[in-house]
Amino acid sequence: MSNLEDALKTERVIYSEETIKTRVLELGRQITEDYKGKELVVIGVIKGSLFFLSDLTRAIDLPIKVDMVGFSNIPDTTSKTGIVRITKDVDIDITNKNVLVVEDVIRTGLTTAYIIQNLEMKKPADITLCTMLLNPDRLLMTIPVKYYGFEINDLWLAGYGLDHDEIGRNLPYIAQIPKRK
Amino acid sequence: MAIITISRQNGSLGDEIADALASRLGTVVISRKYALDNFFGEINPGTLDRLNESAKFFETTLPGSNRTYADILVEKIRTIVSSSKDKDIVILGMGGSVLLSGFPGAIHIRVTASETTRINTIARKYRITNDEATEVLNIADRKHKKFVRTVYGKDITSPEQFDLILNTDRLSVDECVDAICELARKHDIKVKLTESNIDNGTFDHQTRAVKFKNETEEEFARILSIYNIEWLYEPKTFPVEWDAEGNVTMAISPDFYLPKFNLYLELTTMDQKYVTKKNKKMRLVRELYPGTNIRIVYKKDFNELVDRLKMFGGLNDNIREDS
Repeated sequence: MSNLEDALKTERVIYSEETIKTRVLELGRQITEDYKGKELVVIGVIKGSLFFLSDLTRAIDLPIKVDMVGFSNIPDTTSKTGIVRITKDVDIDITNKNVLVVEDVIRTGLTTAYIIQNLEMKKPADITLCTMLLNPDRLLMTIPVKYYGFEINDLWLAGYGLDHDEIGRNLPYIAQIPKRK
Repeated sequence: MAIITISRQNGSLGDEIADALASRLGTVVISRKYALDNFFGEINPGTLDRLNESAKFFETTLPGSNRTYADILVEKIRTIVSSSKDKDIVILGMGGSVLLSGFPGAIHIRVTASETTRINTIARKYRITNDEATEVLNIADRKHKKFVRTVYGKDITSPEQFDLILNTDRLSVDECVDAICELARKHDIKVKLTESNIDNGTFDHQTRAVKFKNETEEEFARILSIYNIEWLYEPKTFPVEWDAEGNVTMAISPDFYLPKFNLYLELTTMDQKYVTKKNKKMRLVRELYPGTNIRIVYKKDFNELVDRLKMFGGLNDNIREDS
């Protein structure tokens, strides 16, 4: 067991490096087919999508533009709970462009909905979503998920961008970890 | 649904804004031309000319009737607005802001521009000199003011009757339409929220705050607000079972409606295995009201949202972690 696996107390491999690689190549081919002849901007969501975005964009054989978006909760003087705000906005002009938002995992879809709402204000031609992992049973929001790598259930996972307390993102595969209290 | 009245100074691009807005909302502009074509039945060309030319002529009665053209104009516009249900309506000119003053769903827009801009616009539009455009503007402004004063006895230029005044000196038609649409969307939500909460007693008339049934609902509302997602609390009840006499025996009022996502959410704090009855109600809503998006927010979904926010320092510790 590696130092990282040891720190995460990984229980079993859910998706191996090879499985992920094959699926990402399939998604890349599909996106290439769907967006041929269109202006596509691929936007990764910081930080979870980092590795997936990196592999996926290299599997897309089109002259795409790549950007990233980040958000966080910041204190607000008018409320106790603060407010979610974009901390890293897109730098590329996405007006009238086709936008593909890349996420590591979508569960309830609330944070994704927030990001989409913000991107919509920039008037892109359309916005679709590609997520490595999707839990359809937990999805609350009606969001345009067009591509996903794998369906998941309620397991606790780490690796390939997914973390627990910021640890585990750099694990090259997706592993089950023990449920933390 | 939005009812938008647009009053404009001549040459301020108000007509263009009304057309672009109606096109964006998928509706038609109810203008003076629309009124003359549709409100008064068959009218001879002479009468049509006089209605076009003279505000005073609106005070005359229709042949064989004791009602004036102004009476019918007012009645027809009010009928259209009252029976609009979920349709968007754009009313251009005709003193719409005065006529629909106080109508809860209506927002009143005034489009203005500096005299220089207006003269330039008129000169360009009619290919006339600036001096001629100035004269055209003077006449048009006088007529416009007179129409509203004659028909409604009010001054169209007083700013307090408008919710939003747009100056097209620097704003494009597109920017104005964006601003109106955003205002209309938010106003519609506010009106629905007020109406629904007054109807079902979920509105505290002292504090004007929503009254939630429990802490979880209140926290969930807070989470939605943190994510800048607009919500309505218990805006609608869906009857799902009836007895032989047609009396409702089972109904569900979903806790939240998210207008932007056209989505109803029902919260449950019970463990998933105990939510069979709620699941049945959800299934019946989907069957009986096709096209309705309704979902249950289970305890674990809720806790995950709380945890996620706590992870980036959002929620205070006094918000419960688990239950």
